[in-house]
Amino acid sequence: MRQFLQQLVNGTVLGATYGLIALGYTMVYGIIQLINFAHGEVFMVGAFGGLTVYRYWLPDSLASNVWVALPAVLIGAIAVAVGVAVVMERLAYRPLRNAPRLAPLITAIGVSIFLQEAVRLFYPGGKRQQAFPQMISSGTFDVGGVTVPWVSVFVVVVAVALMVGLQVFVKTTKTGKAMRATSQDPESAKLIGIDVDRVIVVTFVLGAALAAVAGVMQGMRFAQIDFRIGFLAGLKAFTAAVLGGIGNIKGAVLGGFLLGIVEALATQYVPHGSSWKDVWAFVVLIGVLVVRPGGLLGERVATRA
Amino acid sequence: MNTRKPPALAVAGTAALVAGSLSPWATFAGYPGKMSLGGFPGGARLFCLLLATGAVLFVLDLGGRRRAALAVGIGAAAVVAVNFAGLMDHGGGIGSVAWGAWLSLAGAGLLTAAAWRLPAGTPAPKEWPVLPVAVEVAAVAAAVLALLGAVVWGLRINESSRFVSFLVFVAFVSVAVHHLGVFEALGVLFARRQRIALVLGGAAAVAFPFTQQGNAYWIRVFASIGVFAVAAIGLNVVVGLAGLLDLGYVAFFGVGAYVGALLSNAALTTVHFHVPFLFVVLLGGCVAAVFGLVIGTPTLRLRGDYLAIVTLGFGEIFRITANNWDGLTRGPNGISGIPDLAAAGFDFGESHALFGVTLPGFANYYFVELVLIAGAILVFTRLNDSRIGRAWVAIREDEVAAAASGIDTIRLKLMAFAIGAFLAGCAGTVNAHVTTQVSPDSYTFLESILLVAAVVLGGMGTVPGALLGSTMLFVLPEKLRSFQDKRLLLFGAALILVMRFRPEGLVPSKRRRRELRERAPEGVPGLPGASGAPPGSPVAG
Repeated sequence: MRQFLQQLVNGTVLGATYGLIALGYTMVYGIIQLINFAHGEVFMVGAFGGLTVYRYWLPDSLASNVWVALPAVLIGAIAVAVGVAVVMERLAYRPLRNAPRLAPLITAIGVSIFLQEAVRLFYPGGKRQQAFPQMISSGTFDVGGVTVPWVSVFVVVVAVALMVGLQVFVKTTKTGKAMRATSQDPESAKLIGIDVDRVIVVTFVLGAALAAVAGVMQGMRFAQIDFRIGFLAGLKAFTAAVLGGIGNIKGAVLGGFLLGIVEALATQYVPHGSSWKDVWAFVVLIGVLVVRPGGLLGERVATRA
Repeated sequence: MNTRKPPALAVAGTAALVAGSLSPWATFAGYPGKMSLGGFPGGARLFCLLLATGAVLFVLDLGGRRRAALAVGIGAAAVVAVNFAGLMDHGGGIGSVAWGAWLSLAGAGLLTAAAWRLPAGTPAPKEWPVLPVAVEVAAVAAAVLALLGAVVWGLRINESSRFVSFLVFVAFVSVAVHHLGVFEALGVLFARRQRIALVLGGAAAVAFPFTQQGNAYWIRVFASIGVFAVAAIGLNVVVGLAGLLDLGYVAFFGVGAYVGALLSNAALTTVHFHVPFLFVVLLGGCVAAVFGLVIGTPTLRLRGDYLAIVTLGFGEIFRITANNWDGLTRGPNGISGIPDLAAAGFDFGESHALFGVTLPGFANYYFVELVLIAGAILVFTRLNDSRIGRAWVAIREDEVAAAASGIDTIRLKLMAFAIGAFLAGCAGTVNAHVTTQVSPDSYTFLESILLVAAVVLGGMGTVPGALLGSTMLFVLPEKLRSFQDKRLLLFGAALILVMRFRPEGLVPSKRRRRELRERAPEGVPGLPGASGAPPGSPVAG
């Protein structure tokens, strides 16, 4: 039982990261029906942005102060990820807005490879693992025999706060309303005076910012990052988005936590679970698509080609 | 066709380019092509000299000659520029560039300026008259020979800098020739004389190992390309014809390779059961096709981009399974020491002498692959020209409309998927023998992406596109070793740029070119941005 609770906690922390990345997939998909394959790389680039701020810009005297270092790292991560996402949208996706849908998907794969390689080749020491600063003490505390690191508390609290914040933003602000309108019908949205291009950029920006935060979290939890972390994280987050029902914000959050918990439990309880660690996400994905293609909270998926 | 007096600018430019090409380009010895020697057009200077012959465009009033002449001028400048960079890198600074290179650069500039001032003139003719059979056949033969010659020539060039010059040269000559309408005309000609073109193309492919004078290196590379090309044609059925993006396609290739390895009598195989290779090839294809059906049945009911991700997932599952199932696949070590094929006392690993040329063992596999490619081409073209092919196109364009007009879309999509998997499986069995080992890390996501890129760069939905794409993706990294580290970066950028500027690929199918080049009218369902978002898409919770 204690082991079960421990894995439940681990899964929740894992799921918080998946959920944050999944939000970016789901929002972009909801608005332009594009699987932004490079979103995992935005997450990775964000983590490197945070690392850069900590390593090169923050004076040593401030770096040890968590109340300065952590916000600075987060802002750096968000700035880099948002910048990359905006450039990517402008140069790679916008020109293909009316192309057959295979074209942007292949472009997205190209962007993904390009970003990975750019970090590998041009970031100082980018070919190796990079140590990520541990800004929060590596201490843990016990609840009923379950060990919880303080980092995990931070990860879950921040993730939930951002998820709630996003929901409020989409529901109450004017921009949020414009996003919902665009996702329902871009043509009509244009007719009633919504700047659809701007809405799309805002969507990319929000998704990138959330992914960047997830990137910093990932770095803090595993104490290291490299140029490859975006690939699997992106795939799993996409699975989470599909699991919850793609295009649906609550769904992405639910899917993220569920997938994280499933992965943690399967690793623990399935024989040789850890060597199959990365398979569960795909098994879940295929299972969902067979049983309930719309996802848990989604509606029926259109057969539109 | 009128002849005219050439403008003085063009005469001066040509003279400077020719004189520059015959003069030394380097102030130091040791740069490839004996560049410090005068009176001898070695190295990249030969390309400039050949480009200078393009000056005849100023005399002949051909359609589209302005753009062709511009391509010649800019091409010559680009060749010189590449070598400027190389010379400065090699010799250290601008002082290592001799006056010949400057003269050539000036000549290229003058030629470009002269071309700029040419009148726009008539565009290249769209329709070409039917010529006597002998002339047309000769033209087809000349085109095939030119292609073979270019490949053999390019492969002989060993130095990176000279090979880049060669690539620039070929690219700009192609652009020039394209503007003169020659490719268009050849396309028509090849379509009209299809049988002869096929026979000649096949003959050129068979002749390739004989041009290597017993040198095994490139034959070995081409033996790898052959397998890849079969898989690319198979993927082209799935992506190009039916419009289903498969990002885990290499798994089917891997399934075939494992079938080939396990039934190969290798010392390390876990299945001690041996059947003739012909059956192994078919069996590998069939097993892969079954996997295709298994993975396709649940997912082909869904929209295309889900399929892309699910196939990607399947590819990963295949790799991880192969890595973990020690009892069958021997895990991460894989199965090595796969013996050479042997049939009726003929050992495929041995070299043979034929027509006075020693053919290394890889040539045998190369010939086997040619047979396989021929089979794949037959399957591809017959399907494409059939009712099934038309149904695929209909599904690709608009699945709802296709279903409404009575096409059983799921059955046909499954069929495309299974046929593609079958071809990949067949290729995989051969690959097991060519590489003599199979292991899980040969079948990663990146390999799938390489296959997709081969199809996309070459041209979706055409056989020459798949062949050209896979050849380029294999030969270029071999040749450009000095860029090897940046290979993937360039490759990612190339995918983005091709999709942006030439989404139909290098050898486009006519149908696809039309559909990509003409903007879809507003409000057509099935296009992003058109009216009618799918239910389930609102950003709301």
